[in-house]
Amino acid sequence: MSAIEVVDLKKTYGETRAVDGVSFQVEPGEVFGLLGPNGAGKTTAVEMIEGLRPPDSGSIRVLSLDPKHDLRQIKNRIGIQLQTTALYPRLTVREVIDLFASFFNGRPPVPTDTLITMVGLVDKANTRSKELSGGQKQRLSVALALVNDPEIVFLDEPTTGLDPQARRNLWDVVTNLQRRGKTILLTTHYLEEAEVLCDRVAVIDRGKIIALDSPDGLIRQHFNDTAIEFNAIGSFDADRLRALPGLSDLAVTDQQVTLHSSDVPQTMNGLLDMAKQQAIKFRDMTVHNATLEDVFLKLTGRHIRD
Amino acid sequence: MKTFINLYRANLKEYVRDRMAVFWTMAFPIVFILIFGLIFSSGNARLTIEVAVINPDNDPISAQISEGFKQVPTFKLKQSADVEAELQALRLGQLDMVVVLPNGLSKSIGDKQTGSVQVYYDPSATTIAQAGLSILREAFNIAERAINHTSPLFSIEPQQIQTKPLNQVDLLVPGILAMSLMQLGLFGTAQPLVALREQGVLRRLGATPLSRSTVIAAQVAFRFTLGVAQSVLILSLGNALFQVSIGDSLLVLVVVIAMGILLFIALGFAVAGLAKSAESANGITQMINFPMMFLSGLFFPLSLLPPFLLPVAAILPLTYVADALRQVMVNAPSTTSLATDVLVMGVWLAISLIGAVKLFRWD
Repeated sequence: MSAIEVVDLKKTYGETRAVDGVSFQVEPGEVFGLLGPNGAGKTTAVEMIEGLRPPDSGSIRVLSLDPKHDLRQIKNRIGIQLQTTALYPRLTVREVIDLFASFFNGRPPVPTDTLITMVGLVDKANTRSKELSGGQKQRLSVALALVNDPEIVFLDEPTTGLDPQARRNLWDVVTNLQRRGKTILLTTHYLEEAEVLCDRVAVIDRGKIIALDSPDGLIRQHFNDTAIEFNAIGSFDADRLRALPGLSDLAVTDQQVTLHSSDVPQTMNGLLDMAKQQAIKFRDMTVHNATLEDVFLKLTGRHIRD
Repeated sequence: MKTFINLYRANLKEYVRDRMAVFWTMAFPIVFILIFGLIFSSGNARLTIEVAVINPDNDPISAQISEGFKQVPTFKLKQSADVEAELQALRLGQLDMVVVLPNGLSKSIGDKQTGSVQVYYDPSATTIAQAGLSILREAFNIAERAINHTSPLFSIEPQQIQTKPLNQVDLLVPGILAMSLMQLGLFGTAQPLVALREQGVLRRLGATPLSRSTVIAAQVAFRFTLGVAQSVLILSLGNALFQVSIGDSLLVLVVVIAMGILLFIALGFAVAGLAKSAESANGITQMINFPMMFLSGLFFPLSLLPPFLLPVAAILPLTYVADALRQVMVNAPSTTSLATDVLVMGVWLAISLIGAVKLFRWD
């Protein structure tokens, strides 16, 4: 039985279709990612599943329960981390965690010290929450999502605004949870984050899911080849690029060119010939296997952070 | 119940650690009461008039009159023989009045002649001059009747209709208490509540199994505690420093204060629901605060208001809270009965509660 099951979920704000017919299932023990640019509808979708917003239509089952009728029961068994992290600013980390733990009933709560260790805030346990850094606040916010030892953890953009080090710290926390068998639904607009953390990813754009598979599966499904990326200098003939040997796909946005090749030596040869004939100039060339970024670019014609 | 207490304690802890909040809710009313109390109680000091009496020839009747002046409690008397020196002192403001009794007063009275007493005073000090002259005339009238052996045709017997004499501070303390309750609702409820909403704290609490009524009940209970603390503080300060009574019935006082606190907390919730943002909450609270401060008869009687503002005063809830507190605490005279005050407060409480419930928003 799925941990989460969503069928044809819809929500409209005025003229905007924030969520436009989204369906997916999350299996127990799975880390499932909703990946998409800001404003794609990820947060709206998640908040409807959490029971914080009523959907216009569609059906939702969380742990086989319907948020419309069994919200209290669901809230006792799930853990929610919201994008806003502001909480009692003058209570200490330990006090806030203790307070939130007292809100739940059912299974015995996770000991506060265990949680503090789990999110790496041991030396901040007695610090008032307003004195924490952005990354530490996010980790406290994740700890609060775990006080009731939840079966499903919802993480909404958990690493937005964090520096790379803080982001990696938080990834460790999530990986840890995954090892302990938690089901996790997370939203992100960081492709790398989705690739590192998620078992399966739903790519969401303008309220619709446009692709859904494991990160590897998504890449293989769209590219069984290697990406050659560079910035072109000056004008060039895109048709000549398209005629290169071994080429399977071509994406050009302004001066940034991405060639997908099933035979890198052949394609490279052709490209270097063009360069010798002064047909094209380029710099910053990289050759790499396709990533989710390439998938998003191919599916939408846009970079995710545009 | 356990979650309610935990949430209540968290609110209280958060407040106690916020020095600014503690200052505005607790220290500010104290400062207010001290400043106004000191101003009004010094203005209330008994009037004294410093008088120098010049009695040039040690005449027995002059001596009797000087002696009589000593009995006037308002006079601080100085006997002197040097007219010029006393007039100089009057010019320098060291004296309020110089009374020069004529030479040979006993002889002129024996001859049935009018004795001319010269009084020097500073006409720019109007109150003192008027009061001093009246007292002097009265004193000479008494002396004249004593000498002529006639009895007065009229007597005035002052009757106070007050059970206790009231002074400005007596009226001020209930006013400050009423003002604090109102501001607890506006600055101590509406604004923090909007901040909690804008910061997403209410949403975050709403994402737990806590029932919404628990969240709100803990908020109300916490702010009610602040109101009680403020009231106790103001009442004990007014009593300790300025001997302002808390009235005869503690029960009635507690009921009036509790209703006032609830009324303004409910109003604060309604305002918070109405306000779209922290800025608009600020604007709305100021729009309510100022008319209430000046049109509710807190610091001056409603009879001083221009007539077109009276209908406004008549609908403001603070008018009735302040009036009820004045009646209960210092037995102040009022045109509205205590029952009417409580009734209007009840109506406002009901209106505010409906507004609070209908307008409440979690995000």
